[in-house]
Amino acid sequence: MILSRLARRPLLLAAGLVLALALPWMIYPPVALDMACWALFAAALDLLLGFTGLLSFGHAAFWGGSAYAAALIAVHSGLPFPVAALGGAVFAAVLALPIGYLSVRLRGIYFAMVTLAFAQMVYFVVNQWRDLTGGENGLQGVPRELFGLDLSDSFVFYYAALPLLLAGFVAVWRVVRSPFGRVLVSIRDNPARAQALGYPVERYKLLAFVLSAALSGLAGGLFALGHGFASLESVYWTTSGQAVMMVVLGGIGTLWGGVIGAGLVVELNDYLVTVGFDGIGIVTGTIFVIIVLVFRRGIWGTARDLLAARTGRRRPGEPGSGDTQDGAPARTPGVGTPV
Amino acid sequence: MKALGRVAAVVAAGATVAGCAGGPGAGGGDDKISDGKVVLAVLNDQSAVYADLSGKSSVEAVNMAVADYKAKYGDKAVAKDVEVLSADHQNKPEVANSKAQELYDRQHADIVLDVPSSAAALAVAGVAKAKKKLFMDIGAATTELEGAQCNKYTFHYGYNTYMLAHGTGDTVTKDGSKNWYIVYPDYAFGQDMQKNFTAAVQGAGGKVIQSDPAPFPNDNFSTFLLKAPGLDPKPQVLGTMQAGGDLVNLVKQYNEYKLRDKGIGLAVGLMFITDIHSLGPDALAGTKFTDAWYWNGSPGNRAWADKFQAKAGKRPSFPNAANYSAATQYLEAVQRAGTDGADAVIKQLEGHKFEDAFAQNATIRAEDHLLLHDVSLAQVKPASEVKEPWDYEKILSTIPADQAFQPADPACKL
Amino acid sequence: MLQQAFNGLVGGAFYALLALGLAVIFGMLGVVNFAHGAFYMLGAFGSYVLLDSFGVNFWAALVLVPLLLGLAGTVLERLFIRRLAPLDPLYNFLFTFGLALILQDLVKREYGVQSQPYPRPGLLSGTVDLGLFGYPAYQVFVLAVSVVVCAAVWVVLTRTRVGMIVRAATERPDLTRALGIDVGRWVTPVFGFGIALAGLAGVLAAPMRAVNPLMGADLIITVFAVVVIGGLGSIFGSVAAGFAIGLVSALGNLYVPALSQTLVFILMAAVLLWRPAGLFGREEALS
Repeated sequence: MILSRLARRPLLLAAGLVLALALPWMIYPPVALDMACWALFAAALDLLLGFTGLLSFGHAAFWGGSAYAAALIAVHSGLPFPVAALGGAVFAAVLALPIGYLSVRLRGIYFAMVTLAFAQMVYFVVNQWRDLTGGENGLQGVPRELFGLDLSDSFVFYYAALPLLLAGFVAVWRVVRSPFGRVLVSIRDNPARAQALGYPVERYKLLAFVLSAALSGLAGGLFALGHGFASLESVYWTTSGQAVMMVVLGGIGTLWGGVIGAGLVVELNDYLVTVGFDGIGIVTGTIFVIIVLVFRRGIWGTARDLLAARTGRRRPGEPGSGDTQDGAPARTPGVGTPV
Repeated sequence: MKALGRVAAVVAAGATVAGCAGGPGAGGGDDKISDGKVVLAVLNDQSAVYADLSGKSSVEAVNMAVADYKAKYGDKAVAKDVEVLSADHQNKPEVANSKAQELYDRQHADIVLDVPSSAAALAVAGVAKAKKKLFMDIGAATTELEGAQCNKYTFHYGYNTYMLAHGTGDTVTKDGSKNWYIVYPDYAFGQDMQKNFTAAVQGAGGKVIQSDPAPFPNDNFSTFLLKAPGLDPKPQVLGTMQAGGDLVNLVKQYNEYKLRDKGIGLAVGLMFITDIHSLGPDALAGTKFTDAWYWNGSPGNRAWADKFQAKAGKRPSFPNAANYSAATQYLEAVQRAGTDGADAVIKQLEGHKFEDAFAQNATIRAEDHLLLHDVSLAQVKPASEVKEPWDYEKILSTIPADQAFQPADPACKL
Repeated sequence: MLQQAFNGLVGGAFYALLALGLAVIFGMLGVVNFAHGAFYMLGAFGSYVLLDSFGVNFWAALVLVPLLLGLAGTVLERLFIRRLAPLDPLYNFLFTFGLALILQDLVKREYGVQSQPYPRPGLLSGTVDLGLFGYPAYQVFVLAVSVVVCAAVWVVLTRTRVGMIVRAATERPDLTRALGIDVGRWVTPVFGFGIALAGLAGVLAAPMRAVNPLMGADLIITVFAVVVIGGLGSIFGSVAAGFAIGLVSALGNLYVPALSQTLVFILMAAVLLWRPAGLFGREEALS
């Protein structure tokens, strides 16, 4: 698997870290922050989609739910922003428990529909509960402070939030590499076999769902704090759709693909908004449809296959796509196989 | 850190300007104008729900304001080089937030205009406050902008929920329709409208028999329409606070159930001329509502509307005219201040009284930066009385500026 | 009260038509069509464009628009859906999601987001006396069309050979194939038919609802919930749940307005807790 490759290539990891550090110098800082938050959101969603085989179309509930929770904590308690963000993540995890409990029992496509419906319910609740959430006005004027230091400049906030975001990435990565992660993969590939081996499949799925929700929540909380407000947009189904789009674009089950997908989608949106093209859905929808029809491995997956083909030529004998060394399957996930 | 540096530079430039501002002279030197030019940025919804109402056509209106300003002052203009930018926020507050920062920081905007929808407007108000640059909101209706969330750099220009609800509720009640049934969409805008509307009706001696929240968005209002005739006492007017697509739905169904024939009139909280256009005037004929401005409301309005149509190819909505007016008043204030430094311009705007193509009997209230101006109670004409395209409204009466808007909210501290 | 119940059924008529289309497509192809709401929107826009640009009236549109959309559906199935069919159904779900975005924004770009005017057909502008109360003729018509269409589909499914194949393929896909029945031949027409039903619902909606590019987007999520409640594998369940949810939300509007929007989702949660496969669903929905 790519992860162990990465581990063997500290150079790549270092390059990623340098990129993360240099991002606000290369692109407009608020956009850089958006990218970083969406990237963690996409990675967290891929943990569920790529490594557990569950397509959640309702992750906006956790991203947005945490955005509101984090904003409320920051507004009413004045606690430093990392506490607010973590509080948001905890809230997302708690919210994910009942939703996950009811959803994980359902097979693939049903799961997607049910999560979508539950997220819509969260949206309606947030919209109606005006006294708490500000309704359609959004929850405005969220402070961003750390020990009396004002972080309202996006450039500064980016660096303040980066450690938390990186911690989120490390968490996703650790989960995937852990024995727990391997069980998830085996459930994805053959739930009946995993059940027969004595794993409580549903409980594993639920735990993965809650973990994914918590990390999505961390990203959503930081997103809201970074913008200084939480808005209804964050709990709307289009947000779930956008996250799924990022994962598919980057490559399902590649983890880092989602990061690339997030970068591209955010940049593309920003570009289209700047040039004033009305009908962004036409462009993003078309790209997405092409990816689904033709490049199902996504950007990262396709690149990895090409790379593997080359190294394969140089060193015949080594398996082409990924290795089985740490127990992960050699088969690339999410390519024409039951997800 | 680049961003911080830039802000510091701008502030420093502003300070120099303020120091030597000696009134508008023929050679209003470039050092009085930050970056050598005045930049107006229209940030609005050019692709989602508010696109047809304001959108790109408001950019055209602001261009007209700039042209008129240049024609008026010629060589004496303080702002010699004026640039108009526009950006689309797609009705997403996050995008509005980022775009506003970018407009102020990177594109050196001195003022941001329009910004429809409350969440986006409140987000941009926060940015304006942080960047210490001007923001005149036209598209959003929330009174929060001049209430608890007001700030020194934010102005609210054109209309708000109080004006809409109070104008219609008060006048229609005084005209004899005492008993009301109110249906409102269950979200912030609707809840505000319901509150203000009820207060206006009661203030005018009327009675709200019942008010029901409806889901939002909603495409089936039959529940409420069926219920209306059975209420005790029977309401004389159905007051709907729905907007946009929901309003269209409700009115279509109101006509289905023939409530007008059953003696229940229709009053609408928020209606734009584009709504009348999409329903057709007959569907709404007789409906009363408060309008901030109507293109055919007076010879002056009409003259401006003709000029606008020559440029934009359609009749202006009130946000179009309000954008023109806001840009004009901003440029006039720059002219009077002799600089585009935000604080000096704000000083010129506060308490300023004026008349223009959009605003009559107008004052920018110093306490909360709300524009007070005369508004109209309008009635939709039946199709048989429509004489030309977009000729949909009959102006019943003028609500004077001092009664049209709420008193300043003590929660607002600039 | 009776009147309110009747009105709920009219709302349910739309849910039922949309859910029926989703269910037959799902049954035959195993595809959940996210773009179903977009086709409903296209149905309404189609009749608007026909009237506005070509002077084609409501009655002609009622036939023409579903036919055209059904045709578009068959092309769509041949070109794309078929390619993805052998893969996990999630890929077709994702594909139709992308398609919905494209369709919605194309219409938005062309016609803007304002609601477009569409008059009621003159013949149906009056009220009908239903004995206990008068009711708008158009709404009675909508309910009648919906009931007739659902009943006709039911007859076709239970009384004809095509119907039996579709039903068998829906409810026991593996077994049907194992018995050597050529299911493939019917896939394209059934997909087209499902899309045509969405189009029909759209045409029916045009005179009584706001015709704008976003009209299908939120509706489809509610229809998903309806289908989950009814049981996704079950055609009967989808239709029954459609009418039932219409009824429940109308009464919900009346008695518990605060909950009216979340009611359908609460019901869905309750059904999932009690019968995870939906009211009429089969256990195969479960993992």
